[in-house]
Amino acid sequence: MDFELSDEAKEAIVKAKEFARKHFTEEVAERSDREEQFPTDIVAISKREKILDFSNPWKVLVTIEELVRRDPGLGISVTISAFGSEIFMLFGNDSQKEKYMNPVFAGQKTLGLGVTEPGGGSDVANIKTEAKQDGDSYILNGGKMFISNGQIADYFLVLARTSPPPSPEKKHRGLSVFVVDAKSPGFAVNKLHGKLGVRATNTAELIFNNVRVPKENLVGEEGKGFYYIMTFFNISRIYVAAQGLGIAHGALDRLVEYSKKYGEMSETGELKENLQLAIAEIATRVEAARNLTYKAASYLFKFTPNPVVTSMSKYYAADTAVFSTRRAMELMSLHGLTTDLERFFRDAKILDIWEGTTEVEKLIITRMMLKEEGA
Amino acid sequence: MEEEYEILESTVKDFNAKYVDNNSLKLENEAMGKEFVKMLADQGFFSMAGQGEDGKGADIKALSVVLENLAKSAPAVAVKTLMINSFSSVVNEKGIVDSVSNGSKSGTVTFSDLLVGKDQNGSLRVEGGRIKGEKEFVFGSDSDFVITLLDSGELVLIKSGFSAGKRHKKLGFRSIGFSSITVDSADFSIISKDGRKMLERMYEELSIPVAAIALGMSEGVSQKALDYAKVRTAFGHYLKDFQPLAFDIASLVAEMDILKRYFHDLLAATPSEKEALFLKHKALTLAKDISRTSLQIHGGYGYLEDFGIEKFYRDAMALSVLLHNEEKDMEKLAGLVFDARAGFV
Ligand SMILES: Cc1cc2nc3c(=O)[nH]c(=O)nc-3n(C[C@H](O)[C@H](O)[C@H](O)COP(=O)(O)OP(=O)(O)OC[C@H]3O[C@@H](n4cnc5c(N)ncnc54)[C@H](O)[C@@H]3O)c2cc1C
Repeated sequence: MDFELSDEAKEAIVKAKEFARKHFTEEVAERSDREEQFPTDIVAISKREKILDFSNPWKVLVTIEELVRRDPGLGISVTISAFGSEIFMLFGNDSQKEKYMNPVFAGQKTLGLGVTEPGGGSDVANIKTEAKQDGDSYILNGGKMFISNGQIADYFLVLARTSPPPSPEKKHRGLSVFVVDAKSPGFAVNKLHGKLGVRATNTAELIFNNVRVPKENLVGEEGKGFYYIMTFFNISRIYVAAQGLGIAHGALDRLVEYSKKYGEMSETGELKENLQLAIAEIATRVEAARNLTYKAASYLFKFTPNPVVTSMSKYYAADTAVFSTRRAMELMSLHGLTTDLERFFRDAKILDIWEGTTEVEKLIITRMMLKEEGA
Repeated sequence: MEEEYEILESTVKDFNAKYVDNNSLKLENEAMGKEFVKMLADQGFFSMAGQGEDGKGADIKALSVVLENLAKSAPAVAVKTLMINSFSSVVNEKGIVDSVSNGSKSGTVTFSDLLVGKDQNGSLRVEGGRIKGEKEFVFGSDSDFVITLLDSGELVLIKSGFSAGKRHKKLGFRSIGFSSITVDSADFSIISKDGRKMLERMYEELSIPVAAIALGMSEGVSQKALDYAKVRTAFGHYLKDFQPLAFDIASLVAEMDILKRYFHDLLAATPSEKEALFLKHKALTLAKDISRTSLQIHGGYGYLEDFGIEKFYRDAMALSVLLHNEEKDMEKLAGLVFDARAGFV
């Protein structure tokens, strides 16, 4: 067992830190948050400077963590351009990889993933968007809700029903994944306004009104879409856990800084113990969340994913982010309320929701554990 | 609840239904507007905690009933109402109190001197008969009158000659000004020479009203969660049928009901400082917990302002910072429980 990151990963942290220091100024972060404005310029620079090196997933993981630690909204905006690309990597054919995945990895194009619908996000198998075959194409009808990069993506990977489920219990069958070009006739986007946090990220509702998609845009096999999406979530949740680490660590940074500057001293000349213990608790949780996340990543990056540990890491890192920002806010009082910590507090809550709510993660943990024990 | 308070409660409920419920997001995010403030004043909501010797309006119970019910729909309106009442409770100048009570002017009290350490809050001094300097963290900085502490320890009412600085970030209550103020004013009067002591007393008196707001928020946000869980389905079940959601919200709502009962019991008697502090502490913690759970029950929709949930999540935290300080309150509580100085190392 080795708890050391590779030198390459350590260099990625330094690079991310420097990038964030230079570009994630408070002014930009505050404006993006206030105006709900995607930071197009910074994302373009990050692509030019190849801040995300997709050839090494450890580098991607620690880069997310480090950028988010500086500012969650900007950090996530910069690292979400390729959201969904692992689906191409694992299940796409060569031509799809060439046409869609490579330009995304090269920073020329942006991808989005449309799974959630207005009627529900947790119950993925119950989606209503339909894709009906029509000659050499499929015709898509339906809608997707809360889609990140909704307004800015060039393509979307979209989950749709291609055949009725064989029985109500087997709803996860008959779903397929398609690549949809954002310029397709019949495709429309509504930006969603008024998010609690991560307001620099772009979120939209997608509408498919007889959108014709060529047959070659079917990813993998027809009917296996549910499996593809679940496999993808088992990867992406580790990156969401990294977002949680970034937010929690960011809150800890700010609390430590506060305690040095403003922390009340007791008569013994030490920081008062309530504050000391709170720092210790947050720091311990961050470390525990990091160990879980890196363990899940270690399994995944060796191609032996462990969904139990993955879901544990996502749930625990999300909870740690929410916990840490709340405790830091309570302790820093008006100093927290009037600094960027209040943004961290609002941003953190998304982690309980996206890519599997905390409840859903917990259910996965137990169900997979019981399944493993049964086997 | 006694009949007069029941009547008051239904007055606020009617007011909410007519003017607040459909407008609550706007009242939270944008300045409230003179017309709306005037309506609040016309209801008598701004003249409930007068300090008059005749006891006029000095009814903490009535104020609390109003705050609790306003907070169910629009926490910012409740907080604004509390601020005005708190202001009026220590001002002796009838003209000013009248103008604030009738909604034509507004006033605020700066509690930040008690919430952050010394020297972290700017400095106001009297030089040649004028107050000069800057004060940080003034909640209600868009008011016409400000009560604040001077470096010399006097509590003063500044009637003009101050201006709000750059707005601080605003987690909650976005319709209420929050910034530093720059003062250069000869137009002031001294409220108390022993200002810190008086401010501390005023802060103590906030315990029950702040608890009322926190409880109202808990009621408002949990009701939304209960309603949503009855109609939203996942995996073929109503959300209310899932144990994790049902148990979480049920235990929090039960806790809220117990706290409400305790709150009304306290109001019927004269609460001790310990009881009031403890109630405030519990009510604020509950408001934070229950707004998190209610948001979670709403999934992605909870994260968007349209559903009116996320504002409670923000406001619950903002309330527990703007009008409360956990550490200071706990030190006080520990002292009361031990009946000796405690919890300070
Ligand atoms: C800013 C933002 C960005 C997003 N980006 C994307 C994106 O890019 N692509 C995409 O496809 N989706 C995206 N989402 C959607 C997100 O993944 C969903 O919101 C999430 O999966 C929850 O779905 P829901 O909102 O429909 O909640 P619901 O599924 O309706 O769940 C509501 C509540 O019920 C609980 N619940 C559901 N089932 C159970 C059960 N069996 N037991 C116990 N509790 C249960 C949930 O945990 C939750 O608390 C985004 C959401 C947001 C807010």
